Amino acid sequence: MFFHITLERNMQLHPRHFGPHLRDKLVAKLMKDVEGTCSGRHGFVVAITGVEDIGKGLIREGTGFVTFPVKYQAVVFRPFKGEILEAVVTMVNKMGFFAEAGPVQIFVSNHLIPDDMEFQSGDMPNYTTSDGSVKIQKDSEVRLKIIGTRVDATEIFCIGTIKDDFLGVINDPGVTA
Amino acid sequence: MYYDAGRPWYVPISPAVWWGRFGAAEENKKKRKIKKNTSAKLRKRKKTTTLSLYRRRATRDELSAEAYLSRQDLPRSLSAEACRLPLSPTRDELSAEANLSRRDLGFFAGFSSLSRRRRIPPSPAVSCDLGVFPGFSSLSRRRRTPSPPKLSRCRDLGFFADFSSLSSEANENHSFNALSMSLAVESPLQSSSSGEDFAAFLDSELDLASSESSPNEENVKNDEEIDLQEQRSKRQKLEGFDTLEDLETETLVEPIEEHIGTSTAGKYVICPPHPGFFKGLCIRCGQIEEDGSGVAFGYIHKNFNIVLPYDMFHLQYLRLGNVEIERLRGADLKNLLHKKKLILILDLDHTLLNSTCFADITSDEEYLFRQIDGMKDDPDRSLFRLDTMHMLTKLRPFVHNFLKEASSFCEMYIYTMAERSYAMEIAKLLDPDKVYFESKVITQSDCTQRHQKGLDVILGAESLVVILDDTEAVWHRHKDNLIQMERYHFFASSCRQFGFNAKSLSQLMKDERESDGALATALKILKRTHQMFFDPDVASDVSTRDVRPLLKGIRQEILQGCRIVFSRVFPSKSPAQDHPIWKMAERLGATCYTEVDPSVTHIISTDTGTQKAHWAAQKKKFLVSPHWIEASNFLWQRQKEEDFPISNPRSRNS
Repeated sequence: MFFHITLERNMQLHPRHFGPHLRDKLVAKLMKDVEGTCSGRHGFVVAITGVEDIGKGLIREGTGFVTFPVKYQAVVFRPFKGEILEAVVTMVNKMGFFAEAGPVQIFVSNHLIPDDMEFQSGDMPNYTTSDGSVKIQKDSEVRLKIIGTRVDATEIFCIGTIKDDFLGVINDPGVTA
Repeated sequence: MYYDAGRPWYVPISPAVWWGRFGAAEENKKKRKIKKNTSAKLRKRKKTTTLSLYRRRATRDELSAEAYLSRQDLPRSLSAEACRLPLSPTRDELSAEANLSRRDLGFFAGFSSLSRRRRIPPSPAVSCDLGVFPGFSSLSRRRRTPSPPKLSRCRDLGFFADFSSLSSEANENHSFNALSMSLAVESPLQSSSSGEDFAAFLDSELDLASSESSPNEENVKNDEEIDLQEQRSKRQKLEGFDTLEDLETETLVEPIEEHIGTSTAGKYVICPPHPGFFKGLCIRCGQIEEDGSGVAFGYIHKNFNIVLPYDMFHLQYLRLGNVEIERLRGADLKNLLHKKKLILILDLDHTLLNSTCFADITSDEEYLFRQIDGMKDDPDRSLFRLDTMHMLTKLRPFVHNFLKEASSFCEMYIYTMAERSYAMEIAKLLDPDKVYFESKVITQSDCTQRHQKGLDVILGAESLVVILDDTEAVWHRHKDNLIQMERYHFFASSCRQFGFNAKSLSQLMKDERESDGALATALKILKRTHQMFFDPDVASDVSTRDVRPLLKGIRQEILQGCRIVFSRVFPSKSPAQDHPIWKMAERLGATCYTEVDPSVTHIISTDTGTQKAHWAAQKKKFLVSPHWIEASNFLWQRQKEEDFPISNPRSRNS
């Protein structure tokens, strides 16, 4: 789920950036450092929407770096257990399939794929219903529910299911057998 | 001491000695006095009373005191010896000491001897239902004390108390508990098992067992039990309410609520036999894995290049329990039998290709570099340069055709003892479209045993597996599935590695023939095996067939009818039957003897001057070198004996 929250970070700036464009350089550095990263607590930082406040810089002893406490607003993405997401399938094998919803990777094991879908190996391995009407293969879009998340300091990883109502393939990639 | 003019009135002793002597003297005096007064038995008794009650054994006296029964009323079968049982603290006592509720104790706390429990009857009236073996091993009777100061406020618990399963199943189930009040009284077992706490489950189990196993005083006891159960279930309900309430306030501790909506927890309760784990999460219920067990199947998803810090490496891999592996194998078997495919496992080095480092290239192989430059756009090129690894690779002739044809009737895996990075590079060369080997490359790091390849990492039934490899030693457990191939020595370094002094193919500037090279032969054998396996004429069910007896049968045909005697091939000291060439000959269908016989057809020898060799020449039997057997083994065909004369420079016959 996406959230728009205020975060705070201490940014260190090298003295060469001091000058009339100090603030811009600081914001640029913030964006470069933070966008795309993941923290266990807030999830993946998708984008910084604005900088709320930059505090007074503190010169560090021994080096000339200056530390600024920056408060900024960002859109973060954090998956939760019980959440329903759309994801794109990246790999299919006999154990289940891997899907990606943005930066988070979700594994759906074949225990949690409806029983009428069978694994077909081949050059495009896929899961297909017995009448061939529904197919899950690489690059198909799937709506799934997250049943477990594992949050590390730098990564979030989820286990999902499509065995409930209203879950499953949304859109076939248009590849015909 | 008296005053004496001649002597000082004090005795000059140093203070240490003074106090020491005095102290010691005093103590010794005391000890002697005590010893005199008390008998040995009494002393022993006294000693034991000073130990903690928990570690002491209960004597009949104590038991009777606790049970409020006289010693005579304790059952007679209680021998004094039998009473001496170590008492370990019950969960109640532990929780009282630790100031935690019973649920929050460590999992095994208080269960160290599930058997012996202290009985602390709350009142004399209830003591009679202690039952037959008080102070004893029965799981049956547990006296419930009114629960120890249960901390109703969740906040006062230790931080991690009750967060052992981060999944909030606990929360849901508490709500279930609260709602299903009426059910709780009737079926205490159910209510406590729906609570996630195994301890509670055990408690209820014990109580249920206890209510069944007491033979005496049933009526009184039953009433008591029911009362207790009611009390307990009420307590659980209360707890449920408590923790529900506290959840709201509890969010301060966990800043982001883990849980959105109510998931259908009922579905995933079947999961305690977790089928497997991926990244530390159960693949069926999403619970966090407690310990790393099961076989690691890293090769399936390592393509994703996910890197975790080294100490968490066991969490990187997909881990499957045995039950799950068997289930997947069964499913795969059905699938493949339906599609009429066998499983083919291919080795890389010396089987499908030959590699060498830049450093090992000899001067007469330099022309290869020039060849590579000329071959840049050739689709059929077999010589490749792996710059990232500083290696040259030569694919065996016929390999592309082989792979294409084999993929039509086999599901293929690569299993090599090389490093993962090398194996992925080679897979890219062999399989540029990622058709054959997608997530089926197994390398040294996936092996469960050192220096041994095993079929345990293959998610496929062993009865369908055919292995193509040049070394037999690594397939110790699966020799029956193995088709051994002749090694491909293209580069000089490869020959040197195996101790051959002959020139390699690159030095001789020639190559194996495509039409009848090793791969072509292997393909023929595979096709034949496949045909025999899926033969519709055979009566037996396809799912019961096995590739191994088929391979054996095909091998046995090669030297069928040959009767062989070996001469000067192996030392006479060791038993001949254990020699590899004897075994090879037997596998190929020949029968081997140690003594000559009119029925013998072949003499294998390294020397034409031996007695047996002369006998063979006399009787016009075949006299061949051991290479004949090896060649027949690799080419899967009985070779012409004339092609394998014994080359012996010392022989008198030229």
